[in-house]
Amino acid sequence: MARSRARRRRLLFLLLLAAAVAAAAVALWMVHLDRVVTREFQGRHWSVPARVYAAPLELYAGAPVSADDLEEELRRLHYHRGDPSASTGVYRRSGGAFDLHARRVRFIDELREPQMVSIRADGSSITAMKQGDGTDLPVFRLDPPLVGSVFPVHGEDRLVVSPAEVPPLLRSGIKWIEDRRFDEHHGVDAMGVLRAAWANLRARRVVQGGSTLTQQLVKNYFLSDEQTFGRKATEAVMAMRLEAHFSKEEILIAYLNEVYLGQDGARAIHGFGLASEYYFAKPLGELDVGEMAMLIGLVKGPSYYDPRKHPDRARTRRNLVLQELGDAHLIDAAAAKRAAATPLGLKAPGGNYVPAYLDLVRRHLKRDYAEADLAAAGLAVYTSLDPRAQAMAELALTSNLKRLDAAGRVRGASLEGAVIVAEPNSGDVVAVVGGREAGAGGFNRALDARRPIGSLVKPAVYLTAIETGRYNAATIIEDAPVELKLGDGSIWAPQNFEHQTYGRVTMARALAESMNLATVKLGLDLGLPHVAETLQRLGLESAPVLNPSLLLGTVEMTPLEVVEIYTSLANGGFRARLRAVRAVLDEQGRPLKSFKMQVEAVAPPAAVYQLDRMLTLVTTRGTGRDAPIHLPRGTVVAGKTGTSSDTRDSWFAGFTGSYVAVVWVGYDDNRATGLTGAAGALPVWADTLAKLKSVSFEPVAPELLEDRWIGYGDGLETTAACSADAVLVSVPKDTVLPGKTGCNSSPPATAGDKIKAWLKQIIH
Amino acid sequence: MKTLVGLSGLLMAALLLSGCPSPARRPSLPPPASPTPGPSSGGSPSMQVPPSAPAPRPPAPPRENHLSPATHSLVTQARALLSHGDFNGASSTLDRALHIEPNNPLLWIEMGRVRLVEGDAHQAEGCGRKALALASGDRSAQRQAGRVLADALRAQGRNPEAQAVESQPFMN
Repeated sequence: MARSRARRRRLLFLLLLAAAVAAAAVALWMVHLDRVVTREFQGRHWSVPARVYAAPLELYAGAPVSADDLEEELRRLHYHRGDPSASTGVYRRSGGAFDLHARRVRFIDELREPQMVSIRADGSSITAMKQGDGTDLPVFRLDPPLVGSVFPVHGEDRLVVSPAEVPPLLRSGIKWIEDRRFDEHHGVDAMGVLRAAWANLRARRVVQGGSTLTQQLVKNYFLSDEQTFGRKATEAVMAMRLEAHFSKEEILIAYLNEVYLGQDGARAIHGFGLASEYYFAKPLGELDVGEMAMLIGLVKGPSYYDPRKHPDRARTRRNLVLQELGDAHLIDAAAAKRAAATPLGLKAPGGNYVPAYLDLVRRHLKRDYAEADLAAAGLAVYTSLDPRAQAMAELALTSNLKRLDAAGRVRGASLEGAVIVAEPNSGDVVAVVGGREAGAGGFNRALDARRPIGSLVKPAVYLTAIETGRYNAATIIEDAPVELKLGDGSIWAPQNFEHQTYGRVTMARALAESMNLATVKLGLDLGLPHVAETLQRLGLESAPVLNPSLLLGTVEMTPLEVVEIYTSLANGGFRARLRAVRAVLDEQGRPLKSFKMQVEAVAPPAAVYQLDRMLTLVTTRGTGRDAPIHLPRGTVVAGKTGTSSDTRDSWFAGFTGSYVAVVWVGYDDNRATGLTGAAGALPVWADTLAKLKSVSFEPVAPELLEDRWIGYGDGLETTAACSADAVLVSVPKDTVLPGKTGCNSSPPATAGDKIKAWLKQIIH
Repeated sequence: MKTLVGLSGLLMAALLLSGCPSPARRPSLPPPASPTPGPSSGGSPSMQVPPSAPAPRPPAPPRENHLSPATHSLVTQARALLSHGDFNGASSTLDRALHIEPNNPLLWIEMGRVRLVEGDAHQAEGCGRKALALASGDRSAQRQAGRVLADALRAQGRNPEAQAVESQPFMN
């Protein structure tokens, strides 16, 4: 008896002990969860991913922005037509006259308060601008367009909205559909669970979920997707702790910014701010009742109700939400009915999402910022992106690749391509297209596809020649068979593209028509190390292998590296570091870092000028003749085609006075395309630049040089009138050129100087 | 080769002395600047024209670079920012101006001055050289660009190079 009592007491003691340990464990667990909730939520609560802005459109008298361009840009910036005196973000247009109430907006260097502006534009450009008080306004920039955010590697993207940006109907609607007792409960809602169960039972399907908004937020924030009892308990505890520490308002806003609302390739669409842009291409504040209802309905199952993949399901769901909102008198019942009869109204995501460009931005910033800061520190990143150029480049690539595929010889394979557009003087990168699926992200060929550049290398050979002072555009070089014994004993015998030889040709023609043999001979005479050194000065980062085939472009580069080099040529021998990011501001708008325009002299301007003039012959007489076809007549373009061996790679690199652009076309698996640079890449280049407003490539001529007419084929000095074959080239002053018999060749600068130079030459 | 060059020179001289009519070619005068505001630059008539429509080149008048109203107002703004010690502000304001008139040497001269004040002599040198290249034919712009360049070189301790720039004819 006594023994069994003692045993019972011991048992009781053990039970109590176990209970105490369990209670302590639960308490510890709850304290732990509490700390997780406060720490994580607090940290993330105040943090937003870096927002990325494109370059603002600069307006001034003479700016190449037509009245229609201006209106299009205003619409892209979500300005509406109306009475501008009433509020910011509104403009009035009558003909070419605009009155605009500009919003408060932050730029790299100033926070500009709202202001009234009057702008006049005609069919091609801005003609005059005045401030609200009637005084002249010499220069005015529009808002920098928001193009996305640098979201973390796991792919969450969002546009965070502030409480003021949330429309009242979204607040009340989301609560009514997802969590009716949100304002009363403490994180979990037993009544809600019962009511949801009852509603679902009555409807014989799931029309309501039992989780509160707080629980959903916790689930999104902290927890995995598995449905276990343990997870449910954790979720409930965390939800209650969240409610204990934070206000309803904070929780609701966090929820609206956090909730998952769709998938765009690798990018997860989070929050109503981004969803509004992603599905309807407009800001949250401008959504109508039907659009708002669709987004609210989407919360329940973003992939099941995906309006692009399952429009019928999405529409049914939207209409159910509309009816519920109408029944609850949150919206007018008649309005609900009307909205239910309208189509979903989806818009393409505004052409605003630019993963390839953001990729360049991210790499640029990685030098200075941790990935975590970019994802959460609320930075504002101001870039050089020109959304218009980006859209043109994307369209040009996609449409041409489709056409080439249709006409192509390779069955069952899709051509790929890349485009980069930059401004030569500033080095600003204005567009990056990394592949034909421009919006999909993935492999970024513009930055990562390293391919042989073919004849794109040739300008470096001719520049090296001109820099010696022994060669100019009129110099005769020899296009003849070359056979070379290489270090490994093999024989290298390159061919011209058409498998023929041209004999004695001018440098101008050899470059314009991309003659391989003439170039190889010239390059070997100059010395491979000198050509390699020129390439490196122009912008090639790593030293190329000194193999004679370097002269024909076996050196592999990414399109980005090629742009770097051609920018130095377009910029008169000045290397401008390519710049995607201009500045980074912190959450308060304070400048953290600015990336200044860089300019460095890397080649003698006079030599580059002569080469550039030769490159304009490529597009008038040579392999790049089709480059200017879509540009206004007379627009001067310089450029070079490139084709790697067996037509595996098709390249075109070229520049106007406004843009330098490089295009690559080829297959990812490196098979032959059957396309030369002129057939594959060049049309993409021409289409990209077609609608961008370019000025002619007309650099300032150095004083040491002068223009002379020569025979394109024979290099003899002539006149335009005398010879149909005459081309105008730039050569050092007082260069002695053999004259064409029977032609009155244009005489040089002053007769006296000329004779002196000539006598000097004879005496030497 | 030399005989060929010599021969051709002889031929040329003969043609010259024969006094055939020809457009005048003044050696020191580069193509005219485009005084119109906007991104269009140079406006040089000396570029390649299609052989079907050859045109004689008019003689080039001396070049003089000006700021358009837009860039003038930005330069004024940049100078004010600079005088308040706001290098970043001055720099990004000139950045805007250079996007409007990328080939105007006066803007590169301004940028070079900002870089000098900032203590970035290397970039000031780049701006000075760029300005000098663009100032071809404009003595006043050449002199100012040469000043920036010489100062930038001197700031890097490259005095002989600075003196070489200062002894250029356009510096007087």
